[in-house]
Amino acid sequence: RSGSKHATTPADNYYLARRRTLQVVVSSLLTEAGFESAEKAAVETLTEMLQSYISEIGRSAKSYCEHTARTQPTLSDIVVTLVEMGFNVETLPAYAKRSQRMVITAPPVTNQPVTPKALTAGQNKPHPSHIPGHFPEFPDPHTYIKTPTYREPVSDYQVLREKAASQRRDVERALTRFMAKTGETQSLFKDDVSTFPLIAARPFTVPYLTALLPSELEMQQMEETDSSEQDDQTDTENLPLHMSTDDSGPEKENTSVLQQNSSLSGSRNGEENVIDNPYLRPVKKPKIRRKK
Amino acid sequence: MNRKKGDKGFESPRPYKLTHQVVCINNINFQRKSVVGYVELTIFPTVANLNRIKLNSKQCRIYRVRVNDLEAAFIYNDPTLEVCHHESKQNLNYFSNAYAAAVSAVDPDAGNGELCIKVPSELWKHVDELKVLKVHINFSLDQPKGGLHFVVPNMEGSMAERGAHVFSCGYQNSTRFWFPCVDSYSELCTWKLEYTVDAAMVAVSNGDLVETVYTHDMRKKTFHYMLTIPTAASNISLAIGPFEILVDPYMHEVTHFCLPQLLPLLKHTTSYLHEVFEFYEEILTCRYPYSCFKTVFIDEAYVEVAAYASMSIFSTNLLHSAMIIDETPLTRRCLAQALAQQFFGCFISRMSWSDEWVLKGISGYIYGLWMKKTFGVNEYRHWIKQELDQIVAYELKTGGVLLHPIFGGGKEKDNPASHLHFSIKHPHTLSWEYYTMFQCKAHLVMRLIENRISMEFMLQVFNKLLSLASTASSQKFQSHMWSQMLVSTSGFLKSISNVSGKDIQPLIKQWVDQSGVVKFYGSFAFNRKRNVLELEIKQDYTSPGTQKYVGPLKVTVQELDGSFNHTLQIEENSLKHDIPCHSKSRRNKKKKIPLMNGEEVDMDLSAMDADSPLLWIRIDPDMSVLRKVEFEQSDFMWQYQLRYERDVVAQEEAILALEKFPTPASRLALTDILEQEQCFYRVRMLACFCLAKIANSMVSTWTGPPAMKSLFTRMFCCKTCPNIVKTNNFMNFQSYFLQKTMPVAMALLRDVHNLCPKEVLMFILDLIKYNDNRKNKFSDNYYRAELIDALANSVTPAVSVNNEVRTLDNLNPDVRLILEEITRFLNMEKLLPSYRHTITVSCLKAIRVLQKNGHVPSDPALFKSYAEYGHFVDVRIAALEAVVDYTKVDRSYEELQWLLTMVQNDPVPYIRHKILDMLTKNPPFTKNMESPLCNEALVDQLWKLMNSGTSHDWRLRCGAVDLYFTLFGLSRPSCLPLPELGLVLNLKEKKAVLNPMIIPESVANNQEPVNSTSNHGQSVGFQNTFSNSQEEEEIDMDTVHDSQAFIYHHLNMLERPSTPGKEQSSGEMNMHPVLAAPLSVFAKESNSSKHSDHHHHHHHEHKKKKKKHKHKHKHKHKHDNKEKEKDPFAFSNSPASARSIRSPSLSD
Repeated sequence: RSGSKHATTPADNYYLARRRTLQVVVSSLLTEAGFESAEKAAVETLTEMLQSYISEIGRSAKSYCEHTARTQPTLSDIVVTLVEMGFNVETLPAYAKRSQRMVITAPPVTNQPVTPKALTAGQNKPHPSHIPGHFPEFPDPHTYIKTPTYREPVSDYQVLREKAASQRRDVERALTRFMAKTGETQSLFKDDVSTFPLIAARPFTVPYLTALLPSELEMQQMEETDSSEQDDQTDTENLPLHMSTDDSGPEKENTSVLQQNSSLSGSRNGEENVIDNPYLRPVKKPKIRRKK
Repeated sequence: MNRKKGDKGFESPRPYKLTHQVVCINNINFQRKSVVGYVELTIFPTVANLNRIKLNSKQCRIYRVRVNDLEAAFIYNDPTLEVCHHESKQNLNYFSNAYAAAVSAVDPDAGNGELCIKVPSELWKHVDELKVLKVHINFSLDQPKGGLHFVVPNMEGSMAERGAHVFSCGYQNSTRFWFPCVDSYSELCTWKLEYTVDAAMVAVSNGDLVETVYTHDMRKKTFHYMLTIPTAASNISLAIGPFEILVDPYMHEVTHFCLPQLLPLLKHTTSYLHEVFEFYEEILTCRYPYSCFKTVFIDEAYVEVAAYASMSIFSTNLLHSAMIIDETPLTRRCLAQALAQQFFGCFISRMSWSDEWVLKGISGYIYGLWMKKTFGVNEYRHWIKQELDQIVAYELKTGGVLLHPIFGGGKEKDNPASHLHFSIKHPHTLSWEYYTMFQCKAHLVMRLIENRISMEFMLQVFNKLLSLASTASSQKFQSHMWSQMLVSTSGFLKSISNVSGKDIQPLIKQWVDQSGVVKFYGSFAFNRKRNVLELEIKQDYTSPGTQKYVGPLKVTVQELDGSFNHTLQIEENSLKHDIPCHSKSRRNKKKKIPLMNGEEVDMDLSAMDADSPLLWIRIDPDMSVLRKVEFEQSDFMWQYQLRYERDVVAQEEAILALEKFPTPASRLALTDILEQEQCFYRVRMLACFCLAKIANSMVSTWTGPPAMKSLFTRMFCCKTCPNIVKTNNFMNFQSYFLQKTMPVAMALLRDVHNLCPKEVLMFILDLIKYNDNRKNKFSDNYYRAELIDALANSVTPAVSVNNEVRTLDNLNPDVRLILEEITRFLNMEKLLPSYRHTITVSCLKAIRVLQKNGHVPSDPALFKSYAEYGHFVDVRIAALEAVVDYTKVDRSYEELQWLLTMVQNDPVPYIRHKILDMLTKNPPFTKNMESPLCNEALVDQLWKLMNSGTSHDWRLRCGAVDLYFTLFGLSRPSCLPLPELGLVLNLKEKKAVLNPMIIPESVANNQEPVNSTSNHGQSVGFQNTFSNSQEEEEIDMDTVHDSQAFIYHHLNMLERPSTPGKEQSSGEMNMHPVLAAPLSVFAKESNSSKHSDHHHHHHHEHKKKKKKHKHKHKHKHKHDNKEKEKDPFAFSNSPASARSIRSPSLSD
């Protein structure tokens, strides 16, 4: 990330600051090791390595801590991590107390990030006596307080009708506007296509179906109202009227038609006569002509 | 002519009798829209030297004809394909005559036909012994444009999955469009019909389905039908499609068919049919004549109802669910109509075209009886009144409808309908509107006959006709009884006189043999001294479409003491009639007043004239004359009539009369009627509109809320919150209809500024807003549609400043509200479409109203998109109507062209017909109007349309003729340039004094005028007689040419050697400088070699007798087998062959 001088976001700033600090650390370690100077590329490489190393410690430690169902890593997490990475932890205190170590001043902290204040409403409840003080504070009252409402539910006829009407109208308007926005439209005014958008007319392949068939909702209503009336008619509907074009089994179908027919009449009509309608009769097989 | 023949028998115009016909269609290709099949006609010669058999066939390609298995030569010639070949001729008179002649030339009732088959010489001996002949014809149809209509939705899947279907259709006898036959209603025979269709499809046709058999590959099946009742070819029909089948639960021999997915609707729609059956069988005391009945509901129907032998084809749009109120009575009426025609029209057929009125009359009459029984007397009388008003208006407009035209030899009678721009000699030349009115008049006249002889006798007559026919139908052909199944005017009248013993000849003479209606003007005075009502009844019998009435006329007078009928004798000179009154004007206040129906009522008599005992007077209350009555009585009498007369017709008349009396008393009478629940709902609906008109006339003195508002609030709004309408409950149909109508009428209210009152608009908007149908058993789509109509009615012309362009910014705020609703409704239709898209239809109409009133920029683009193929037919019609209106208002040539293109190309015949119809009713210009649209190109285009573009559809062609007449009139269109040479020649021929102006009106109107084959001098003289006056009319140069051509033609005739073929070219050269027609025409015509001479004679072909058409035509294609292979189609559509039919008549 060289030369990104114009980086402005706080994240970028932190990144650059960390990187700079690490560079200082690497340089001081190099100085400690007796180097007088180093190529920039070498420093960069070392910095990269150091950063990776530290990152890995952090990542690993986090895993360990989460593994034990905690959110904050403890010292032991770090220790285990270091051990896991093949680092001899014993040597660490001694290294830390070595004489020639250089002390690096903390980087100047500029613009401390302001954590946005969480919404507070009301006073947080103090802990009751049986809860130790180190436990987290109670959350804001609004998160658990229940306010019972005692307002009368609206039952005034006029208001209800008013409400239903405007609600329906709003829904319809929103829906149609949405449809108009997402699809093709027509307009009555050449200069304005948005105020009265008309969903474009689209021809149907079978126009009579949409025009004649009631909507599903209406169908339901109808069934509710006159289901009794339809009862005695429904069986004719199920008669096998359409031979499928399936080539394999017209013969099979024929027999099934016959069976269905007879079973139907048997179950339904009982003593009554079978409906004798030529259109319900089975289709005959062609006569096999033996010529020659 | 027919009457003289008596009812002994029917004389066939053909030299043979058809006994049986086989129609076999063995292949139907939906993809290519083609049909392949054969027919076989069994005929018995009735004359020994039969050597030619004429049959009807149009569109069909005929591959091969065999007579008794011998190859036969045949000629296919259809002069109706292109009526006039003389392209410069563009006057309608000329066309109509030529068209009538062309139709005559192939008219089966005159023994003619398009297809002429030569009986092979080997069979001549056979024929001489009058032995049976079997004529076998192989034919195919490719993309038929008429007669058979294919509906093939453009989508994925097999034809059955797509719901593709095909059905026969047409106007009158149109069977020849789909198979060769004797296409006459009078040639009966038995039938065997076979259709091989895809295994997933069903073929529905006439007669009994004998069996269904798979083909050998099991992919198809063949439906075998037998029709043993002798039936005319014109009553044969077919419908093939993947139909769902419903066996009628009440009558197992009745089967209903509909397109896939519509079965629930079919069930509901047909659930009522058995009651209609029962009704007809009961009143006719006669079983339904066929052994089965089939109803088929198909898409893109030609007409809503088409009746054929033992089956009817309906529009699928008649299907409806139980939730739909408005469509139910309409559909039931269609079913009842179709069934009535099964008895009269299909089973009993007609002898000739001039007997058509008997069939239409009887079927319409018994349908009326059904109406009376089903919907009640009020509805029946309302319907009769409506029909009467319609026929009266039409006859007064056009000059008369003649039920029984007689075409004798006399010159006078040759053209019984000279006031019309078409010939009434054939059904195929009739304007559709005329035919509709013809049917209307026919059933009204039947009702008049009933009035005369009583219903009982009437039904006995019908029963007699039916029993004769059914006896005849079961006989073998050899018994010569089949003609008993044909009804003729004379036979019918004889039956009537036999059964009733009454002489109805005067009635027939008045209403059947002559056209026109009666126009009465009535007024009265009360003579107090003599206690007499002096009634004056005048007639107008000089205006077109009227006739003089002489005979009895019933007058009903409601007096204080009761209602009294008087029968006046209307005679030549008596205008005044004295009617003695029963009551003295002194009135007893306590006494109730007896009404006609015996009821006694209390009346507030304060409004009456103190000196007169008359409450109201009605002339011809039973509508027993086809008449229009304009009667004068004072406003209070109309008000009494409205309130207390129990006859709905009287109430409706009173309402119409009260429009002229905008007084508080009228207002009160109307409001009272509106509120009265016992009152017939249609009367109440009518009262709404009258009240709106009265309120507008009284606007300055009107007190209280807008008319009907408080009434509506009281009837339909919540008690607690009067501004909110109750949730919909349409259980009471009468109040439903009232609820629908009142807002529509209210929206017609206007304030002093001639604007719709804001209060009314807000009221309607609230109705829309609070409309709630959730708890309703019925659909509210018609109600909502009418609320939109109400919004449209409230629109008044925009106040325009300096013709500013209409934009959103200057939109009137009220209009903005209206637009808001329309937009929402129209958009919601896309998501939740309403039944028959009634709401879309109303929205489109409303948008056009807004455009027309200048609130929204006038633009046809929206309508054009809704008019495209693929929208529901009602929507298309509404959109097209708007485009037609736009074309007129904005004089748009582009839109006119667009419409005419659609007339030519649209896949749906009904749409094509309807566009012409709408253009005729709302024409962009008329003949006396200057218009930029009226130009030569348009004349050419329309001329072509009717001359050759519409030969596949009689109705469409007649529609084109109507339009041409409306736009250009009878003579040569004024926008055509005057032919250059015309004037010169006119001068040259001055001796002959060819006054061109009057000729088209008089000469050309005669259908078959003078027989002037040789004597041109006489003809000239004949024209000469018309040469006076008429200066005001423009010169019709065309006729000049006609006359010149005529003369030159005869000159040529004199010089012509006997062989015309050689001489004709020189003759043609002679003609060129004479005729002013463009040379190119001739150059083109002469290419067609042998036929080229005919057009010289052509102008006068209509003056020749029919005989001329029977000449043999040597130049026509004779096809034997080998030729057929090479050129099988040349004869089918070739204009060359078509035009030659009458050409050599003179030279022969």
